[in-house]
Amino acid sequence: MSALDIPTLKENIDLETVEKVRALDVDKYKYGFETTIESDRAPKGLSEDTVRFISAKKGEPEWMLEWRLDAFRRWLTLDEPTWARVHYPQIDFQDMYYYAAPKSTSGPKSLDEVDPELLATYEKLGIPLREQEILAGVEGASANVAVDAVFDSVSVVTTFREELAKVGIIFCSISEAVREYPDLVRQYLGSVVPVSDNFYATLNSAVFTDGSFVYIPKGVRCPMELSTYFRINERNTGQFERTLIIAEEGSYVSYLEGCTAPMRDENQLHAAVVELVALDDAEIKYSTVQNWYPGDKDGKGGIYNFVTKRGDCRGHNSKISWTQVETGSAITWKYPSCILRGDNSRGEFYSIAISNGHQQVDSGTKMIHLGKNTSSRIIAKGIAAGFSDNTYRGQVSAHAKAKNARNFTQCDSLLIGDTCGAHTVPYIESRNASAHFEHEATTSKISDDQMFYCMQRGLSEEEAVALIVNGFVRDVLQQLPMEFMVETQKLISISLEGSVG
Amino acid sequence: MSVLTPVRLGPAEQTLIAQLQSAGAAAQAERLSGSGLPTRRVESYHYTDLKQLLRSVPPLAGAAPGASAPALEIAGAYRLMIANGRVQDAGTAPAGVIVGRSEGSVLTMRDDVLVRLNAALAGESLSLTLEGSVDPVIQIDRRSEGEAAHSAGSVRIFVADGASATIVETYSGSDAAHVSNHASYISLGKGARLSHIAVDLSSGQATHFATHEYQLAEDAKLHTLAIHAGASLARTQIFARFAGEGSHADFSGLNLVKDGQHLDITLDVNHAVPNTTSQERFKQIARGRSRAVFQGRLVVARHAQKTDAKMMMQGLMLSDEAEILSKPELEIYADDVVCGHGSTCGQIDETSLFYLMSRGIPRAEAETMLVRAFLEELVDPIEDAELNEALTAVIDGWLLGR
Repeated sequence: MSALDIPTLKENIDLETVEKVRALDVDKYKYGFETTIESDRAPKGLSEDTVRFISAKKGEPEWMLEWRLDAFRRWLTLDEPTWARVHYPQIDFQDMYYYAAPKSTSGPKSLDEVDPELLATYEKLGIPLREQEILAGVEGASANVAVDAVFDSVSVVTTFREELAKVGIIFCSISEAVREYPDLVRQYLGSVVPVSDNFYATLNSAVFTDGSFVYIPKGVRCPMELSTYFRINERNTGQFERTLIIAEEGSYVSYLEGCTAPMRDENQLHAAVVELVALDDAEIKYSTVQNWYPGDKDGKGGIYNFVTKRGDCRGHNSKISWTQVETGSAITWKYPSCILRGDNSRGEFYSIAISNGHQQVDSGTKMIHLGKNTSSRIIAKGIAAGFSDNTYRGQVSAHAKAKNARNFTQCDSLLIGDTCGAHTVPYIESRNASAHFEHEATTSKISDDQMFYCMQRGLSEEEAVALIVNGFVRDVLQQLPMEFMVETQKLISISLEGSVG
Repeated sequence: MSVLTPVRLGPAEQTLIAQLQSAGAAAQAERLSGSGLPTRRVESYHYTDLKQLLRSVPPLAGAAPGASAPALEIAGAYRLMIANGRVQDAGTAPAGVIVGRSEGSVLTMRDDVLVRLNAALAGESLSLTLEGSVDPVIQIDRRSEGEAAHSAGSVRIFVADGASATIVETYSGSDAAHVSNHASYISLGKGARLSHIAVDLSSGQATHFATHEYQLAEDAKLHTLAIHAGASLARTQIFARFAGEGSHADFSGLNLVKDGQHLDITLDVNHAVPNTTSQERFKQIARGRSRAVFQGRLVVARHAQKTDAKMMMQGLMLSDEAEILSKPELEIYADDVVCGHGSTCGQIDETSLFYLMSRGIPRAEAETMLVRAFLEELVDPIEDAELNEALTAVIDGWLLGR
């Protein structure tokens, strides 16, 4: 039986939508294969020795080890947060591996050294690693995507590095950055998400294994999309990646992130930290398509996705924009945020969160207005089906010095079937009179007025729905870079009827 | 993992524990000593950290030493008084009103610290049964008199099938640092109509807690308005449950916040059955260094299809040191519903101000006009002319105090 059995189907959601949601059904997770590659793992469990093991494996300098150990000691004093609307059995942090690396890939210099099994894996995932292929396929560098692929705990390969280096951009794995650009890493690592920010971020700080590092020098507009693909393959491993992006004065970068994992009975933990720093006049655009394994139709297995993502608009006129498409994971606990510190800085958050089967999503954003004339915009669309729960949780706050802070928030939810739940929990905190906040949330079908207007002009009901929905989806989908948009449409391939109004 | 450390108890908590013990509520005393008063980590007290805000609690109230003049005079109203948690003798009740009293508080299943304290400490409760169309406005005049005291009182109101009434609860008293904890448990029968208005006019030193619990049977119609215009620390909790199809409620509230105050309205509306509707309209206006809090939650149960609920919260800031904090929540488990919430916050609109000033109205007067217009929407639906006038006077009093 399909997890999406809809006894009381609403008449205004057309069959196509239902079919598409069904196609998205958890028991048809198409990335659920496992790759058999010999791997190198840390001993099970978590202790100072584990932290030392990871640090040694990475050949890290002393200061990095100390930083990790400090985080580990602080983590021991923290409690797991319980405020999110998600329920799961207690995680045994000792019953897990904290490091797993494909054996043959201790620092591949070129694709030829990479295990062919791995390449086959990425091919199955549809991730273009071979620069030549991309080059052969597309003329002109503008459509290129530079990829950093992370397999379990290590970065396997990063493409297009030379081309990027020509304009001074550094795009490499965080482990490499720790070794080769220690000054930059020391200056910025943990400056947006402090070591003891929250339980999972602290855990990540102690045991993070790999991730991407991006540095865009002053005045440079990154000529191509940068992209990272994360894949958890090993059994019982947690993936703790760490991404750090620094955009110097006047620079621009667009960064994409995608994730998948094999199908497994047990739950796997993913606790990432992403830090973005935008200096004066810089702009960072960060897009995520999250498609971790969501568990089977009975809610068995799936990834626990506990992620801390935060961007710091440190400079004047800086801008950070988060776009996320969340379709996977058994549990999602994720709040990509913006600290609007610089005057005139701007934060954006665009989100589509789809939950099905027994998935639980508790996601949203935080917009912290600190500087003058800062503005933010939040557009969140949640769709719940099956037995899932989909919560938007967001905070907007203006501090006393954030004169003329502006926020506009819109959260729309759609429920398909009567066995799921959609929730909205906004925290709106205004601490100065000139701040102007608007928040709107709805849970409903397409408004009758809109339908009436379209139909009165000769459109059939279905055409009207299609037209309204098209305009509605564009809000979020259009925020995705071209290459990703097509992929995303394929991935979610679901129309959002009924979410407006 | 850290081991749970025992909660450090402050003087207010220690007094409360001793008072619970003296009232014979050993289990409640033990529970409070284990958990302490709620901090911001308790979601329903996120913006009202009682552990920090409630510094001390005065001794339990004795009999009231005679009453001061009523804080709100409503011409033609039938007035009942509860002073220091004790029900006072009242004159002849109008037709359709049956007045009773009973020992102790009213039983409730709600697990909330203020409700539990009220249940354990209230000595006596007033019960009202309303039948038919009750003509005069019923005023329940709740007082805290004499030296600073901690009092708890409760009222139970049953509006019989098809009955209709207007009830005004006013809270006031002597100028002392009272802590008053009031509870009202209100049940509406089939097709009953009730307008329930609660106005806090306590002294500026006082702490005011009120819990209003509503239960609506089929086709019942409820209108509520809660106004905070007195105590320096106030929290009104509104818990409503739609238990019968076809029922409807309009909930409204107003935080009139001035320097040094912390006022909180917390609302939790549960649409438990299909075909019920509600509208929530709350406003907050703040000046000086102050804090206004509104938390509203709409819950639509799994089978409560065809629910229509709209919640609106509007904040107006008159000072840069004020804080307006709001948390309008939706928790929806049924798919065929129309639910939404909106929240806005800002200062007086410059364009409107310019419009009025360009027509020769001085700035201060123009501001007052706009603020009055902002607030009027809440008092407008009240049909009783005398009551409407009395409430307008409360709002004007706050406005002119600026």
